[in-house]
Amino acid sequence: MSDENVRPDSIEASIRSIERKEDDLVVVVRLSNTASRALHYICDVRATRYDPETKTLTVAMSDEGRQVIPGAMSKLPEIRYVDPNGEAEFRVRVPEKMVKLSRSAPPGELAFETHRLSEAESLVVEVGWSDVPYYKDTRERAATKEARLPAARWEQHKARTRTRMPPGEKG
Amino acid sequence: MTIFILNDAAGIGSNDLDPLQAFVDLVIIANDDGIGLDDPVAGMQRVTYAPTLAGVPQTRLDALVNTVFTPDYGSGPQTVDVIVIAGLSGFTLDDGTSFANNGTALAPASSGLPGAPLNTTESCLVIYDTQQNICVARAGTDGDIDLPISNPVVLYHEFSHAFRIVNNNLLALTSECDPASPEENAAIVEENDLRTQIANRQSVTPELRDPNIHCGQVGCDSGCCIIATLASRSLSSREVQGLRAVRDHFVRSTEIGHDFFERFFRDYYSFSPQVCTLLAGERRLAEPLLEGFVQPLLIFWDLMIERSRGEMTPLDLGRAFVARHADRIGAEGRLAALHLVSRYWQAEGPGDDEAPAELLGLLRERAWPREHIQWALIVPVRIYARALAVYLAGGDAETIGRELAGGLEPWAAEFPISDLWARLSGEQAARELDMCRRVLLRSEDVEQRFLRRLAERYGDITAIRALLRGTPSQPGARP
Repeated sequence: MSDENVRPDSIEASIRSIERKEDDLVVVVRLSNTASRALHYICDVRATRYDPETKTLTVAMSDEGRQVIPGAMSKLPEIRYVDPNGEAEFRVRVPEKMVKLSRSAPPGELAFETHRLSEAESLVVEVGWSDVPYYKDTRERAATKEARLPAARWEQHKARTRTRMPPGEKG
Repeated sequence: MTIFILNDAAGIGSNDLDPLQAFVDLVIIANDDGIGLDDPVAGMQRVTYAPTLAGVPQTRLDALVNTVFTPDYGSGPQTVDVIVIAGLSGFTLDDGTSFANNGTALAPASSGLPGAPLNTTESCLVIYDTQQNICVARAGTDGDIDLPISNPVVLYHEFSHAFRIVNNNLLALTSECDPASPEENAAIVEENDLRTQIANRQSVTPELRDPNIHCGQVGCDSGCCIIATLASRSLSSREVQGLRAVRDHFVRSTEIGHDFFERFFRDYYSFSPQVCTLLAGERRLAEPLLEGFVQPLLIFWDLMIERSRGEMTPLDLGRAFVARHADRIGAEGRLAALHLVSRYWQAEGPGDDEAPAELLGLLRERAWPREHIQWALIVPVRIYARALAVYLAGGDAETIGRELAGGLEPWAAEFPISDLWARLSGEQAARELDMCRRVLLRSEDVEQRFLRRLAERYGDITAIRALLRGTPSQPGARP
């Protein structure tokens, strides 16, 4: 990835707006491509994480860190591209509430913890990107020992931006 | 093992769950009066089942509900229950994965199985979104993702995983969805048992899921060949599907093929998105592009796939070409489109009314000079064009075939030499060369020309030297 001025920071991300709609948070993300070739990015939310200690909500358009587990189906990411020296904008919806299995409950007890967007003080948006669109690896040896999801293997870099949550959005 | 439905728990309210839907889904799976629920205890209701009907789903449900499973995950036998968590809005795993529009079965925390680190209990947790709008691949198609999946079927799919989890015989689970991993393949096969039974109850033809494809999407209506999509105006057009098939099944199944495709892909996407942007403003160019580039490319590679499957004489090749051009008038139009499009690729002058300067400049700078683009796109279309001209001039099948063969041989010998050859072991290199022979290097002369190029480039690499020295009795040599 050394041609057409492609560098790890070739895609710059910024948050254009944050708005509450119904029970969700709608975030408009703008990407700027400073390279001279089209760059491809994931535009759907793949993971949402909340750190109660730092009160940081991270919305990731990236499969990095996600585990391979059984499921009803495997949803491939939505990939779009941004033109060379161009911009792209997309919206993501973040549910107002996040429910997780609680690790602070007594051992073996099934309990949950609920976090609401109103608790978050910072929002981090991460966008995984590459200089080619996603494509599957059809080699015979391909999948057996790979622990990462395919889109995590595809991703070359991540554009990241952080913002304070607007005062009106907190509880 | 016992199945419970969760209807309340610490940290959430009962309104956050959908236990009623879970029970309805169980009733549909059982299709039997014998399914029931005990009164709630500690936020959970135990499922009871006394089957009165025979059938694969009934047998499975009976086993799940009425057998005490004591798997040994390495620390001695332990009793494992299944807890169904249905419709929990906003549920997210520790790794950030949301369970909106999906389902999962998490193995007990100490089991060491996939998903276990995300589970905080020693129960098998079956979690699914009862508001899901999942669409999956339909059996009997080329992977068309247009088959909805109902809630009972999602639940039954997860029960399939749960059954193997509690028996500690989970199959291999891989990160790819196409082809589906052995574990997901098994779950889909069992899912189809329920689909079949439900369809039979309704006296309709079962619509089954492709057990070899685990990929899905939200909503029923993907990496595409971008220029073909624009020219054909559809992601699912015959042309796009055809090129996708060539890409997925012909080019990328081996290491050298995969490497070729990676490089080609990178070169192709250095200009194709901008070409599409420019073409979007020049709709009149879409038709010539479809006729003068996409269709010829598709036919060329279709012929190559057929040729790779067995011996084809020039006469066979010519007949295969003629068979694909029954519409002579259409073929004449295509030749005209080919001449037009060839000007775009090879233009040296400024743009004109037919092709904007920006488009020509982009192709000249980014497409034309690239080895992989030349080999995979430009030269094949040129070979095709010459054969088409012979056909339209009245050439018979033998003559057309000789024209094609005459173009294919030098082209095949010029298959780009990847630096991957320098990293292969002797055995790997021999295997890759065998693939090249089957698919491309169809004559002794062509093979020798390719090998001379390989020698010039990597003759100092031990594995390549050994490959080049290969005798008829050794792997890597033409028999």
